[in-house]
Parts: sequence; structure tokens; C-alpha cells
Amino acid sequence: MGWKEAWRLSRTPLAEVSFQAVYAFRQGNLAPPGPPRELAPKAAARTMQSKGLIGLVLALLALGAAALLRAGPNATATLTAYHLPPAAFDAGVLTGLYSIDVALLWWTGLQVLPVLLSSGALPVLESLPIDEATLRRIAGLVYLRLFDVPILAILIVTPVFVGVALGPLAGFAVLPGVATVIAFSLALSFVTGRYFTRKIQGSRGGGGRSLVRWAHLLLWLVPAVALLGFVSAGPAFFTVLSYAASGTVRGLLPTLEAAYPFTLAMLPALGARGPLGWSLSGAGWLELAVASAGYLLLALFASRWVFDSVRSVGRLPAAVPAPGPAPEYVLRPQRPSVAVLTKDLRTASRTPGYAFLLLLPILDSVAIGLVTLADARGAGTAEGLGLAAVVSAALLATFFGPAFFSIEVLAFSYGRALPLSDRSVILGKAALVVTVYLLAGLIVLGITLLRVPAPWVFAGFIAAELPAVLAAGLLELGILFRWARARGVPVPNLYGGAWSALLIALPGLALAAAPLVLDEVYGFVAMAAVSLTELAVVAPLILGRRGP
Amino acid sequence: MSEARPNDPTLPLAIESLTVDYGERRAVDGLSLTVRPGAIYGLLGSNGAGKSSTIKSVVGLLRPRSGRIRVFGLDTIADSTLAKERIGYVPETSLLYEALTPREFLEFVAGVRRLAPAAATERMRAYAAAFRLESELEEPIAALSSGTRQKVLLIAAFLHHPQLLVLDEPLNALDPRSVRIVKDLLVRYVAVEGRAALFSTHTMGVAEELCHRIAILDRGVLRAEGTLGELRARVAQGDASLEEVFLRLTEEDEGLTAAVALLEGP
Repeated sequence: MGWKEAWRLSRTPLAEVSFQAVYAFRQGNLAPPGPPRELAPKAAARTMQSKGLIGLVLALLALGAAALLRAGPNATATLTAYHLPPAAFDAGVLTGLYSIDVALLWWTGLQVLPVLLSSGALPVLESLPIDEATLRRIAGLVYLRLFDVPILAILIVTPVFVGVALGPLAGFAVLPGVATVIAFSLALSFVTGRYFTRKIQGSRGGGGRSLVRWAHLLLWLVPAVALLGFVSAGPAFFTVLSYAASGTVRGLLPTLEAAYPFTLAMLPALGARGPLGWSLSGAGWLELAVASAGYLLLALFASRWVFDSVRSVGRLPAAVPAPGPAPEYVLRPQRPSVAVLTKDLRTASRTPGYAFLLLLPILDSVAIGLVTLADARGAGTAEGLGLAAVVSAALLATFFGPAFFSIEVLAFSYGRALPLSDRSVILGKAALVVTVYLLAGLIVLGITLLRVPAPWVFAGFIAAELPAVLAAGLLELGILFRWARARGVPVPNLYGGAWSALLIALPGLALAAAPLVLDEVYGFVAMAAVSLTELAVVAPLILGRRGP
Repeated sequence: MSEARPNDPTLPLAIESLTVDYGERRAVDGLSLTVRPGAIYGLLGSNGAGKSSTIKSVVGLLRPRSGRIRVFGLDTIADSTLAKERIGYVPETSLLYEALTPREFLEFVAGVRRLAPAAATERMRAYAAAFRLESELEEPIAALSSGTRQKVLLIAAFLHHPQLLVLDEPLNALDPRSVRIVKDLLVRYVAVEGRAALFSTHTMGVAEELCHRIAILDRGVLRAEGTLGELRARVAQGDASLEEVFLRLTEEDEGLTAAVALLEGP
């Protein structure tokens, strides 16, 4: 069988991945009401919407980069110590774009790969009379097609926008960089995804293994932290670039020229504007040519390796019981809402997609807290940054409420057969949102205390926002429960319903943001009053008799 | 047998005129049946007969189009949480939180069912020992075989010593030793005052061996209901096996010989 046949056969597992991503039948969900024949087209449409959303974000990033390229080096004049030549500026902007694209695609891949694995779509093919080469091709094509819209967005939109900003030659010269972005991000997703199945999902319970799993899961945050890092390190990067252009730091030029993705970002810049501001010697040109070819070869190798290896991800190996007599295990049942919280934390510790959501607001606070600590401009700035960290923690924790509910997708039907009231489930998950917020807030408090001798400012701010965060979590979860009840569909993952998750998070975000805005305009008392009022209104609505 | 009142709080299960639809397709059509204390009640039917839809309606997973279900007098929709407290359920497929280990899963179930730690631990150990599951209690469920998952579901169903067991093909994927344990356990379990079991299966031998009363469903409709003796009488064959009775009542015996002949090829 050839590639054409593999492409045709890959449609079936691909449709199954969409189907399972949306309806999660393999995790035990029941068919929603409505004609069964409409389920598959609806699933395909919803996954296409999600992929469209990610493609749109990538296109907007390219548009933003093109706008910067059009504006030229003056856009960063206030950030850099020395004058930045236009070509160096272009290479810097494209380096940022490539880096963010890699991080975003990698992050998307980390959400998508578990869906591919849990769908069980590929192992079904193994028992059919299909030759080994075709099976590998089908698996590779399914993996590639999971990213089809985002890949097309990067591949088409980036050269077009850059071409419009810098000319057709530059647009064409973007292609090698874009190709490596796709190859490396898919390879990174695959490597980390495989690590997840082998080391984390299959990890035994008990003992201190949960802590070890959480430590492993920090790896999952690398792309997200990288994303934040690229954005926040932008000004510093342009400063470094200006040092390189002015020749103030020895050895910086060769390092930059050989570093990915700057090497490939130089190609369109050189194509459009000539020299970067530093004269490339013969050795410099050779270095650029070798590094570019090297990255392209590496991308080619990575693509082939991923393509051939997707099939091997398969399922978890069967559990081999530990040798020796089994220990006397003990059950420590907790009350229902706490049992839900514990179950979610345990699930998250073996499910990187969820662990990511739990850890991101906390790590974000650590990052901003550390910036606060390092900032030398005084306590006033430190206080501002500390409060900003609390604000971002509140908004991030709120934004991820819907995802915490989607943990219930796992064995959704079994959970519904238990005498577990909706109130207990909502309370358990809202507690998770609040826990994440409080942890993040306390970290900020701890770090900023070293710089700002006014703990009550932070403590008061964190406490005043707390009711609003709880109200936001309750509102989102209340909407989700009603929605799931009415439609019989569990709340989807990123692949199956990014739009839905976004829409449901918006009212929660509005609730969490309102007191923060009021604090800016009317002060702390107004903030606290609105926060408490929100909770007083939302809690009875969601948890009271009229609630779900 | 005297007529039981559906709202009788001692009556394990009363289903009245149950109708379940999936879109335009009717899965269960006006089913009524009663499970009395001390009984193992078998639901028999071909694929798509409506057994699982009936069971999912009983445990609250499906909302029926019409009809009423009461568990010990409690309406399964109006008093769903109270009704679920009295039920132990084994689903047709291994619906489990795969990211948890069996011990973590059972701890979650015990928490939701508000069991005391000592009792929950003692029961988990006893059932795990019976099913030889001790060494796999800390493995992630995702990595367990289907038979082992089924054992975990069985333990979860028995953990709170429910008054009504609702078992959807509970012997699926189990090894012969475990099948024997479940069968013996069921017989002893319902012998305790006030308990009962609703049991669906394709396996006629199991139903014949275990069930006190049997309902035969066919394309969502109740074709016959009664003890094995009563069902035999319906087809006027005193020594017929349950399989023969089933095929006759569902009219699936017609054309059976021709179908087999067709499979033998020209």
C-alpha cells in the first residue's frame, strides 16, 4: 500500500479522535440526545472550530510580527541602548515570532497527544492486514493531521504577511524557518507526550510517588513558561541584539548567528534589507550557511523520526505487579466534596494537561515574584508587580475552571451513578480554583515581603479578591453542569471544544476582573464590597435550591 | 404472588411503563417489572434489546422519556441521591477513572458513600484478597487488564453493602475462578434480608443457574417474565433449556437453521 492509501485510511482514525475528543465514549460517556447519525459530523465540526481558533491565534501573531516589521526599528528605540539596524531588528522580530510559534504549537501538541492516546484510534488498525510501512504512515499522517489547520496557518499566513511587510523575497525566505518551527514543535510535543505515557501516566500510587509525579510534570510547563519568557524577555533580547550590532560584546555575534531560531530568522532579514548592521566575514557566512543547513537537516530528521515513531506510542504497557507480598493498604475516605478535590488532584498528577492548568498560575506568580525581588527600582515598583502577580493568578485560576470540570469527563457516567450531589462536585472543583489562587497569592506574598515591608497590603488584596474568585468558579461550574445536563455532553478538552471552554470562562473572568478594576478606580473598600456581593449573589444561585 | 405496591419502601425495584428513546430510535418501550427482596432478577435479550438502557435508567445515567422507577420506594429522578445510596452498580463497560489506582478509586467511592475508614479498609482487603487483586491495588487503572478492571468495579459495587445490586453483564472478562466467586457471592448476598439484584446477561447458562425470575426483552419490548418454570410453560415445553425458551419467545429460532446453512457456504 502506498501513501495515497495511507492517506485514505488515516481518515477513519482521525475521525475517531475527533469523535472521542468531543464525546469521550471511551471514557464512559453516554450518547447525548439527538439523532446518532449527527454525532460524527458535529464532532468533526467542533474539532475544526478548535483547530481554527489555534490557527487564528497563530495568524494574529504573524500579523503582529508583520506590523512590527513594517514599523521598523523605531518601535524598539526606547528599549535598546544602541541604534538597531533594520535588518537586525527584522531578524529579532522573526526570532520572537518563531519562538512563540514553537512554544504555542508545542503546548497545543501536549493537549492533543493525550487525546490521540486515549481515543485508542490507532491500535484498532494493528489487527488488520495492513503492512508495517503503511501502519507507520497512517499513524504519522493522523498525528500530522491533528495539527492541520495550525500548520497551514503558519505555513501560508506567515510568508504572506512577512512578504507584504518586507517584500516577496523575504516572504519566500521565511519558509525554511517556518518549516523548522513545525518540525521541531511536533517533535517536542511527541517526545514530551511519550515521556508522559511512560513515566507519569503509568506511575504507581502510594508513598511519595505523587510528589515525584508533580516534579516530573514541571516539564509540561516548559512550553508555557517559554511562551511567557519569550514575551517578557523581548525587550532584553533587543538590547542584546543592539550590543551585538554595535560590537560591544565579544563573541556575541557568532553565538547569535548559530543559535536557533535566530539563524533562520536572518535569512529573510538579509534577503529584504541586506547586512544586519555587522559585516559578515567569510567565516560568518560559512557559519550561517552551515547552521542553517544543520537546522534544516535536523528538522528533516526530526520529522522522519516522529513520523515513524507515532505508532510506537500506543497504549500503556500492562502493569506488572510489584514483587513480594503486597502491603496492607488502607482506605481513608473523605467527605464527598473533599473526595472530589482529592480525586481531581490525583487525576491531575497523572494527566499533564490538567497539571499544567494547576501549576501555571502558581509558577506565573513565582516568576513575577522573582522579577519583583530582582527589581532594583524600589518598593513602590515591587508593590505594583506583586499586586499584578495576584491579579494574574486570580484571572488564570478563574480561566481554567472549566478545565477542572472536564476532569469529570473521565468516567463521567460512573460518577453520575454515585450518590454524589451536584453541589458536592461543584464545591469540590470550586475549592480547587480557590486553592490554586490562594497558593499563588501566598507565594507572591512570601516573595514580595522581602522587598515590601507592608504585608497587610498584599494580604488584604488577596483576601478581598478571594470571594470574587470563588464566585467566578461557582458560576462557571454552575453553567457547565446545566449545559452538560441539558446536552448530555461532557465538557470537552482543548481539541474538542476550545471555543466552548472560552465562552464559559468569559462570565467567570468578568466576575473575577470586576473587583480588580474597581480597586483601580474607587479603591480597596469598593473592591472588597463588590467581591463579597458577587459571592453573596452567585453562591445561592448555584448551590441553592434553584441551582443545578 | 401478591401484587406489590411500587412505592413500598421494602420493595427493591419497581419499574412502571419505562420508555427510553435515543433520538428517533426507541430503546425501551413501556417496560414494567418488579424485583422483590431476596431475588436475583435476570434481564435477558439480544444485542440492542434494551437491557443496558433499562439498567442505565435505574442507576440514573439515562433520563427516560416516560415512566417511573422506584428503588425501595424512592423515585430515581426526584430522590436520585437517596436512591443511588442504596444501589451498587457494575456498568457494562469498564467506566473507571483511569488515572487513579484501584485503591485511590475505591477511596473516592468510599468517600462519596460516606463509609467509615475501618469498614471500608476491611471490605477492600477482603474483596481484594478474594479476587487476588492485592498486588495491583497501587497500579494505575489505565494499565490494568479488562478482567482486573471488572474486579475493581465489582469491589466498588459491593463496598457499601448495597441493598440493591444492579449488574450489567458483570461476568464479562472475568477468569473462571472470579466468575465462580461472583456467582456464589450473589447467591449469598441476596439471601440477607431485604437485598436483591438486577442482573443482565447474554449467557443463558448463568441466568438459568442464578436468577429467580427472568425478563426476556426483545427490541425494547418485554416478551415474557417469570420463573424459568413459568417461561417454559409459556412455550409449552416443560424440559426446554432457557436458550430454547428465549429463542422461541423472541421468535429468533425462525430461520436459524437457514442462517447457519448460509454461513457454511455453497
